[in-house]
Amino acid sequence: MTEKERKGLDRVREIYQDRAHRAKELKAEGKQVMGYLCLYPVLEMLTAVDLAPYRILGDMEEPITKADACLPTVVCPFIRSALDLGLKGKYDFLDGVVMAHICDVGEKTSHIWRTYLNPSYFYFIDTPHTVHKAAQQQLKEQLKDFKKTLESFTGRELSLDKLKQAIKTYNRQRALVRELYDLRKPDPPLISGAETLQVMVALMSIPVDEGIDLLRQVISEVKEGKNGPPKKPARLLVWGSIIDNTALIRMIEELEANVVIDDTCVGSRAYFPNVELTDDPLDGLVYRYLVGLKCPRTFRESVFGETKKDYIKDLESRFGYIKDYAKEWNVNGVILQSVRYCDIHGYEVPGLRDYLDHIGLPNIYLEHDYSEAALAPLRTRAQAFLEVIG
Amino acid sequence: MMSNEKKKRAINRLKTMYPLRNLIDEMYQRGVEASKIGKPTAWSMVNWWEADPILKAMDIEIVYPENYGAVCAAFGAAPAYLDRSDSDGFPTHMCGYARNCIGYAARMKDLGEIPPEAPMGGMAKPILLLASGSLCDARYKWFQALGRYLDAPVWTVEIPHPGVEESFREGAYESAINFMVKELGEFVTFLERLLAKKMDWDKLAEITDDIIKINRLWYEINELRKARPCPMHSRDFWSCMNASLYPAGDPKESLKLYQDMYQEVKDRVENKIGAVAEEKYRLAFAELPPWHDLKIFDELAERGWNFVIESWAYHPPKPIDTSQVSNPLERIAKETYQWFTGSFKGALKAKEYMGYFAYPYLEYARDYQCDGALLHPLLTCRTATNHLMLVQDRLLNKLKIPSLVAEGDIVDLKLFDHADTMRKAETLEEMMDHYRGVRREEGLEW
Ligand code: SF4
Ligand code: SF4
Repeated sequence: MTEKERKGLDRVREIYQDRAHRAKELKAEGKQVMGYLCLYPVLEMLTAVDLAPYRILGDMEEPITKADACLPTVVCPFIRSALDLGLKGKYDFLDGVVMAHICDVGEKTSHIWRTYLNPSYFYFIDTPHTVHKAAQQQLKEQLKDFKKTLESFTGRELSLDKLKQAIKTYNRQRALVRELYDLRKPDPPLISGAETLQVMVALMSIPVDEGIDLLRQVISEVKEGKNGPPKKPARLLVWGSIIDNTALIRMIEELEANVVIDDTCVGSRAYFPNVELTDDPLDGLVYRYLVGLKCPRTFRESVFGETKKDYIKDLESRFGYIKDYAKEWNVNGVILQSVRYCDIHGYEVPGLRDYLDHIGLPNIYLEHDYSEAALAPLRTRAQAFLEVIG
Repeated sequence: MMSNEKKKRAINRLKTMYPLRNLIDEMYQRGVEASKIGKPTAWSMVNWWEADPILKAMDIEIVYPENYGAVCAAFGAAPAYLDRSDSDGFPTHMCGYARNCIGYAARMKDLGEIPPEAPMGGMAKPILLLASGSLCDARYKWFQALGRYLDAPVWTVEIPHPGVEESFREGAYESAINFMVKELGEFVTFLERLLAKKMDWDKLAEITDDIIKINRLWYEINELRKARPCPMHSRDFWSCMNASLYPAGDPKESLKLYQDMYQEVKDRVENKIGAVAEEKYRLAFAELPPWHDLKIFDELAERGWNFVIESWAYHPPKPIDTSQVSNPLERIAKETYQWFTGSFKGALKAKEYMGYFAYPYLEYARDYQCDGALLHPLLTCRTATNHLMLVQDRLLNKLKIPSLVAEGDIVDLKLFDHADTMRKAETLEEMMDHYRGVRREEGLEW
């Protein structure tokens, strides 16, 4: 069967195995491919000037060698891995790169990437830390500038119509991701967590319209429900820092558990928030990318300018959506996980655990160093946790 | 005995440094005393003068938990606080200063008062946690996490972190300043509600002016260090930086003390008096020093090592004229933004895109004619570590300046290996000698 004929989950697996293949093909056809790091670069704007966005990820299976000379070993291993791949030329097919202030090391790595790899196009979005009105305005000003640079790089106009069109297309894709996630609500779920993750990685590696077609195929295949996972006692939510490889989820699902929902950035965090179609489309985009995205890198208060802190109210405002997920997907346990040296997620752990305890959801925190070998010892802990859930 | 005395004298310390150093030591006691008489205290992240003048104008006593982390480490109180943070489930890889503060706050909550073992009088219970969006993630995530133990509200002060090239794009500067001014305006309104009193704008203008004057003078003092021999060692810088960086106490008093220091350093330059007896090597130091092992600098001074410049983040902004700006919030915004972006022009020209943290070392190394650098990565402070490999590479490949890496931490004091560093120092000396020749061959000035 040729690649074009491969459909649905077969095609997903194929893309997952060789993520860059389609992007390289597109490039050979004359399309420009734009790399981006994490969730904060505004994809709709790339698509509206006919660029193919391609998410920069790491590779857990590839030992880090070259990045050691540029980034110390005591920083986020995911980002070190991504930079390592860049330095090894594995992202050479990209025509340019958009990065953003995601976290401190993400910001620094953006500058290191530019210094060493000198891409033909580079833009750094300084995403503010708060969701205040002034912060939204500041992001909007930057997006206006970002637009100008994209236009001058591509020689094409980023028109309002095209931008609105792109917003609608992405929202359509997001709705389909929701639909796919809905198929994990039954017991047993119709698709496993590991397979869902493969779909998400695939979507981040191909243009949005191709992703929409692929999702439709996957959804109808999954609905047939032939190869779904077996029923298991634990229905888990996995929260935390980036997971771009199926190893951890597979490890959990090989035990007595199904991962039925996630709150990670190659998953629901990337796809659940929609963009509202506002008169000036930038307003909707700013809101979605600053306020809507629920990454702990953004500072939020339960009430703007509150003068008295109520801890539970604060937790509710930061993590309330997790309670909603837990209800909707009928979750009976939460695995919090993070790569070591991720401050953004690390600081969140005791607070989120307090919140989960408060709403009566059993939970455990697992820390790993973004390598398959390091997952083995976590298996025992995960198993012990599942025994508690029963 | 003899050699000890000799070691002590190896660095010729500035006399005017001592009173400045004392100012910061008094900060905690002042905080505790102030809270006893009902004066509000804020725990604040270093915010590079963006929020301090506002807090001061509102008569809030400020303590800086980052600095208190260093105090607890020095007094041996940190391990118990770190253990507490660990047992409360905070990951151990997090910033040591944050873990120390979390442990402290947890204990304070248990006791309902300042823990009796807390060094230097402890940190008084805050009415406000002033987080900062600048430089590192810990500096707002940590205060958010303190919600477990303290009911004080958290405010996060925004400061833009534009990319080097992006910062020069049309409208970027105005937009960044506008953003900061608006945010500071909101902050003032918030404080007015929190304290149920109005901002005294004249007072704010005066404090802002004083802080700018302090920073200008402090900048000029550091400029004098370009002289050969360098009149002031990094040790004096570290002892005095806090009066600018944590503008605690009375700014007028600090200003007077910095004026005295300027005079002393200037006299030394005029009389060619160096900070070390015989300046054989001029070095840069990156990042925070090994606080518990500062004597290593005396040993290195005996070998003729003079530390003439250090980490950008603790230095004041390059002077700009904001005297015509009537709105103090705008003045503050412009000064703080200048601190952040002051080296960006040079960075862009040199195509060095980490325009703060990394590029300033290149600028310093050239301006202060350094022969080498000692880089001190800090295990749990990623912010002070992220850029050091880049710095090492750029110094060597662009300016032919070799460096040595000696690892340490901000609170785990055992991590710094004195003997190993001294061994490596010998190798660095050979390299510094060698690269002097290389620089000359390449037509570099020194
Ligand atoms: S995993 Fe954490 S440290 Fe790494 S890039 Fe994401 S937010 Fe930053
Ligand atoms: S990580 Fe470093 S810069 Fe950040 S709060 Fe800790 S010591 Fe300060």
